[in-house]
Amino acid sequence: MKVEVTNKRKLKSLKTKSESATNYAPKPSAIESTFSMFQKATAADTSSESGTLEPDLVAAASAAAATLPNSRQAESELLQQLRRRKDLTEAQKKGNDLGDIIADMKVGKKFSRQNSWPSNQIRFDEDGQGYTHDRGIASELASVRKRKKLFPSKRLNIFSPVTDKDTAESALTKPTLWDIAFVNELSFSTNQMPRNVLEEMIQWTKEGKLWEYPINNESGLEEEVGISFTEHVFLEKHLEEGFPRQGPVRHFMELVVAGLSRNPYLTVQQKKEHISWFRDYFHQKAEVLNEADVCLS
Amino acid sequence: MAAPCWHVGHHIRRNAQSLRVNIEHLAGNRAFGWTPAVHQQAKESVILPRKKAWSKEAVLETLASTLNRDSTAYPYQFQDDPYLSPRTATEFKLYSLAQDSGRSAARYFVNNHPKFFTKDFAEPHIPCLMPETVSLLLEEVSEEALKERITLRKVTAAVDMYDQLLQTGTAVSMETTHELLDLICLYCDRNPVQEGEAGAEEEKEGRRMTSRRGADVPRLSWTENNNAERIFYLLPERDTRCYSAVIRGMVKHGAYAKAFSVYSDMLNNRTPGDVHIFNALISAAPEVRDGYSERWDLISELLNHMKQQEIHPNLLTFNSVLKSLRQCGSLARSYSPQTLNEMKALGIAPSLASYDHILAVFYKSVSSGPSNSDVLQNLMTELEGQSFTCVDPDDVLFFSSAMKVCLDNKDLELGYRVQSLVEVGENWRLLGDSVQLSIYYGRFFNLLCMMEDVDVVLRWYKQMVPSLYYPNAQGMKHLLQALDTDGRLDLLPDIWTDMKTLGLYNRADLLEQLLGLMAGEEHSPELQEAFAVCALDVKSVFEEKAGLEWSASSLSHVTTLLLRASKAQQAWDMLKLFKAHNRIPSEALLNSFLSVCQRDGASERAVELVQLSAAFCLTSTSGLASRALAEFDLNQEQRLVLAGLEAAAGPPSD
Repeated sequence: MKVEVTNKRKLKSLKTKSESATNYAPKPSAIESTFSMFQKATAADTSSESGTLEPDLVAAASAAAATLPNSRQAESELLQQLRRRKDLTEAQKKGNDLGDIIADMKVGKKFSRQNSWPSNQIRFDEDGQGYTHDRGIASELASVRKRKKLFPSKRLNIFSPVTDKDTAESALTKPTLWDIAFVNELSFSTNQMPRNVLEEMIQWTKEGKLWEYPINNESGLEEEVGISFTEHVFLEKHLEEGFPRQGPVRHFMELVVAGLSRNPYLTVQQKKEHISWFRDYFHQKAEVLNEADVCLS
Repeated sequence: MAAPCWHVGHHIRRNAQSLRVNIEHLAGNRAFGWTPAVHQQAKESVILPRKKAWSKEAVLETLASTLNRDSTAYPYQFQDDPYLSPRTATEFKLYSLAQDSGRSAARYFVNNHPKFFTKDFAEPHIPCLMPETVSLLLEEVSEEALKERITLRKVTAAVDMYDQLLQTGTAVSMETTHELLDLICLYCDRNPVQEGEAGAEEEKEGRRMTSRRGADVPRLSWTENNNAERIFYLLPERDTRCYSAVIRGMVKHGAYAKAFSVYSDMLNNRTPGDVHIFNALISAAPEVRDGYSERWDLISELLNHMKQQEIHPNLLTFNSVLKSLRQCGSLARSYSPQTLNEMKALGIAPSLASYDHILAVFYKSVSSGPSNSDVLQNLMTELEGQSFTCVDPDDVLFFSSAMKVCLDNKDLELGYRVQSLVEVGENWRLLGDSVQLSIYYGRFFNLLCMMEDVDVVLRWYKQMVPSLYYPNAQGMKHLLQALDTDGRLDLLPDIWTDMKTLGLYNRADLLEQLLGLMAGEEHSPELQEAFAVCALDVKSVFEEKAGLEWSASSLSHVTTLLLRASKAQQAWDMLKLFKAHNRIPSEALLNSFLSVCQRDGASERAVELVQLSAAFCLTSTSGLASRALAEFDLNQEQRLVLAGLEAAAGPPSD
């Protein structure tokens, strides 16, 4: 028992040592060409045991194994474990562009879920493929490698890239019935139903049924924004021409202007039209006014 | 401690003025660290940031982003009356159709009786709630009247007006002629179904819900010499848009060969084409040629014509190329990746529809081996985390085909990746209508039940059912199998209540599977009680529903369950049912019944049991009779009866 405990600790320290060793080793070699790493990694893949372990690691493994009762078996197990660790780091080093780095991050994550391995293993054994749990990395490797081969960069070579001018022109034409029918078909095929009350309110805002948040009191009154209040209130200047300066007509019109200045519902244009209607009216009824002796000067 | 502070405060209050000035001076210098000259310069070149313009819905969208889907709630459009919450898939369709038809009925009333809706309360004005004109206003023969008919989509009226205009000799502008041709070709010379017409309405809504194609342009066939062709040939000069309208209409409504003849006509007249013409012709190419290589030759010829006429292809062009390649057999595998690369080289991003066509090409045969999931894996790596909008009506087919590939290859990891793509942003909208949705989730659930262990399956079950997916009988069978595999038969009573809510009790095979699972082995007493309650429930379902037939195995399962839960009287009633439905109980069942009778000491019943078995002319009668004689203490007449039965059935067993 005692022997095993110490050996466990030794093995742990050995493992960390080998990890650090393999971690230090690739750092300078990351600068070297990717092609050689490619070759190394593919060599590691195809051969069942990669013989590229550092000699001091092998020596350390054999020394540790010598302390155990079953030294030969332990040594081979240790070496196997070290080789697997090396394969993993090689695989993670392999790809260089962003997509591969992302794919490799997945490899790391997958390895941390140790408990999913047994079921994976059983599944693959049932399928008759007989892969070991290394299949996790192998499938990622395969996808990373095959991505370059499955959709080769060969193209039909019929068209050449388009310039911006042509696309801008086509955007200006009026939508035809076909376009409207196409857009309808798109909206029928997708699911446009709102999932909660806020999405429903968004739809209503787009349709124009709901006030826009944050609430602007003057929405819908855009044309009134530029007109100052003086034009609404001080309407006497419209009485300068066309109306007499004194008399009942003037008095009447001043009352009209006073009422209009207090009316918030009409636009300035409507108020002006109101006043000009009265102007025309009084001009038409000039004879009646003359008979009543009202001066029109 | 307080006293010194008081002193400090007092000191500060007295010397506040000088203190403040000192501090400002210090702070001023220290905070900016600039000399006055630099400070002056900095003041002149202050850059004011631009005012941000938020969209109208920015506030609401931010709020909406804080909400997630509630998996225990019914869909939002049904959160009104609990009685009207859909519990099965048919109810869901029915209620959605009901809501839509209510809306269109309201629209019909507002439009056809505008005199009741004249008062406008809303400020600012809401145009979409006001009545719109649906009836014709202009009656005289003029171009405005024609335009009005076109806008109101009245095909026959528009054609009549056009003919009248030609008769009177008025020239019709080219623009209006284009629109008229568009109208006739779109609707194939028939009036579109108007909203509010009786009978047609439900049909239209039904088509809207179930068909994937546009609802108000149903599949009609192009008749010979219809108005479109007539007007087309009457035109003095035909330009691109006329040809475009006619060719597109012909392809849409099935006259493919004619479309190609009009196209060759167009080429002879040296009229320039347009991208829509070529899109339509490419999609029609497989219909006019048999033989894979001929089809591909035609497609590439069309593409070369496009290039010669300097018409730039768009996304729909390439999607129709891929769609037609699906019918080109083995050529598709070589040419579809090339098409995809061409799209990328031209800077056109492929949509989900293009990927769907690629999947269909590469996964055509069911017998493709597991290594072929590479295509989908690469695709998922490429599409990871992107959000899509619908740009092609075929986009909605992508997810269900992807999930089918995962299911066929039994690849759970890939299935999870597809599901995570669905959960990105608004991609869930691209799952399509309720039919596509149920197909997708059905396949996903099937994959889960096959490959995952039961805790994960149940977690997904709680999340998806019934807010996203109403399982059909097939889905339920998979779930029951998964429970069986992992030995969680204690959940069967809950599953039975779910089945009742989902309305899945009409399938006799499903009920039989459920009963079989429950009756498979002995369980703990509480569980047996629960199973017996379920069994009685199932029995009442069988009795109430007219179409369901009892089978021998389901009858025996129910009886076994009742016996195990010591409900002897009800088990006895079950045996009577055997006779009623002409089914024969098995020997094991009768033997176990006899054991239960012995345990209960019901010797009368034992005798009746043996008599029953004799009535069925079962071979086991004698065995039963001897057992009964041996194990029960019976009175004389019972013994005689049993002896007689034993003797009667005796000789074959000797």
